[in-house]
Amino acid sequence: MDESILSISGISKRFGGLAALHDVSFDLQAGQIMGLMGPNGAGKTTLVNVVCGFYKPDSGTIRFEGRDITGLPAHKICRLGIARTYQIPQPFGDLTALQNVAVAAMYGRGIGKSAAENAAPDVLRTTDLSDKKDVLARDMSTITLKRLEVARALASHPTLLLVDEPAAGLTEAELPRMLEILESIRQTGTTILLIEHVMKVMREAVDTILVMHQGETLVSGRPDEVMNDTKVVECYLGEYA
Amino acid sequence: MQNTVRRYMPLISLGVVTIVLAVLPKMGVPRVWPLYLFHFFVFLAMANMWNLLAGYSGLLALCPAAFIGLAAYTMTILTWVDVPFYVGIIAGGAAAALFAAIISPSVFRMKGVYFAIGTLVVPEILRLVFLRWRPVGGELHGGGAGYMVKGMAGVTMEHTYWLGLAIGVASVIVMGIILRSKLGLGLAAIRDNDATAASSGIDVFRLKLYSFVIAAFIMGVAGAIFYSYQGYIEPSAGFNIKWLMMALLATVIGGKGIEGGPLVGAIIVVIFHFQLARYGELNLLIQGIVLVIIMLAAPQGIMGLVRDVRKAGGLGALLRSASRGRIRARQL
Repeated sequence: MDESILSISGISKRFGGLAALHDVSFDLQAGQIMGLMGPNGAGKTTLVNVVCGFYKPDSGTIRFEGRDITGLPAHKICRLGIARTYQIPQPFGDLTALQNVAVAAMYGRGIGKSAAENAAPDVLRTTDLSDKKDVLARDMSTITLKRLEVARALASHPTLLLVDEPAAGLTEAELPRMLEILESIRQTGTTILLIEHVMKVMREAVDTILVMHQGETLVSGRPDEVMNDTKVVECYLGEYA
Repeated sequence: MQNTVRRYMPLISLGVVTIVLAVLPKMGVPRVWPLYLFHFFVFLAMANMWNLLAGYSGLLALCPAAFIGLAAYTMTILTWVDVPFYVGIIAGGAAAALFAAIISPSVFRMKGVYFAIGTLVVPEILRLVFLRWRPVGGELHGGGAGYMVKGMAGVTMEHTYWLGLAIGVASVIVMGIILRSKLGLGLAAIRDNDATAASSGIDVFRLKLYSFVIAAFIMGVAGAIFYSYQGYIEPSAGFNIKWLMMALLATVIGGKGIEGGPLVGAIIVVIFHFQLARYGELNLLIQGIVLVIIMLAAPQGIMGLVRDVRKAGGLGALLRSASRGRIRARQL
């Protein structure tokens, strides 16, 4: 498959006696938004950490744009074009929004300081943060920080963006705007892997869904197929639901 | 035009101050002035570099004494093999930088407070080594493992003063350059969140290494200059924890993570150093009490307080908003 931007095959990761990921394989097509869902402890965030180079998988390979990136350190993976956001925002607290974004642009793209500072306002505009330009990240609300996560990830010009629960902590009213932002990122040609629990997001935003359960891939397919799959319903609600 | 002036104002004022300080010893000022200022320069360089590590790179390095002692020993021992002391000063800085690079893979494995503890033992290990190891000169006798600095005939207090001035000013310039560079922003990112820094493309180890090695070099040069003035070094002085206390006090009192902090802090520490010397051991007690008072009144240091006052628009406004904050905190 030529179009697959990320190809995961046979990834396993154990933490002591716990198999957080067991023989996970899937392909992600370029230009898509793929939803990754599953109950707590299914291994979603572990998978993101493995792809981003924070954990080294015990076995299996990860190929990105045809290139084996298994076991590369996190900063190199970022520079190759994979950026991520964190479920709980992890900003650079004592830096302003502009600096947060500029740092990622400088090091993620390998550009100079003034070039990064010139590029940063555009990224802030995309994520509705222009008015927070000079606000320190530690003085921001969770909602704003959620957008800053996306802004920082975007700043490194990723071809693949891993978004870990962008809707968690947002209200119903704030959700549509976040989805618009993600859709506009996809419009620019960025492939997105979206971890989410909020069903509304899954129904509206993604092209395909991959469901994980207890460290393994359970089902994948179009949103309407997946959501009506008995195995998916069982893993969320129990066998006799 | 006005913008250009404003932009280069700090540089111009630094230049003017440097020139004034450079000609000061020739102006017939009281003889203690150069002595006080010499200490100030050395302390300033130390504090600036400690601020680079602890304030801007998130490296709570408790091993400045290792860099001081190692560089000073290198300089001193080189004078025994007929190397001029000013060459030895640079060689000392280089030795400290090399040492920092060598220990970094092991100490950088530790994070936060573990890094602090891990680095705290480093000077102690070196002290024990230099208590037993005499690379030049005869066997130990009487005075312990100390060395005189040789080849200092004709070197006056003025010369030492200028060397001190040079390293003090150099530390200010290096700090200014780093903080305005890509490196400075990258280090600040690591300080704030090293995982996010890595996932934003920052090679965390390499940037920390740069910061550590630069700090070790300048601290080392400052230490070697200081001991060229002392004329004598022995392990329990060169590797003494007092070096750490001095750098830490100056940085924290002045304002950690603030560019001007060490400058203010170093002035206060020098005053302490000379004015409290007559109280002997009580000296440390007094310094400790002053530190506690400053921490209570200005947790961000003196320059931190100044910054907050400026931001709030006056001391009154700051106090009012602080008390409002306290009321709000109680309601929550």
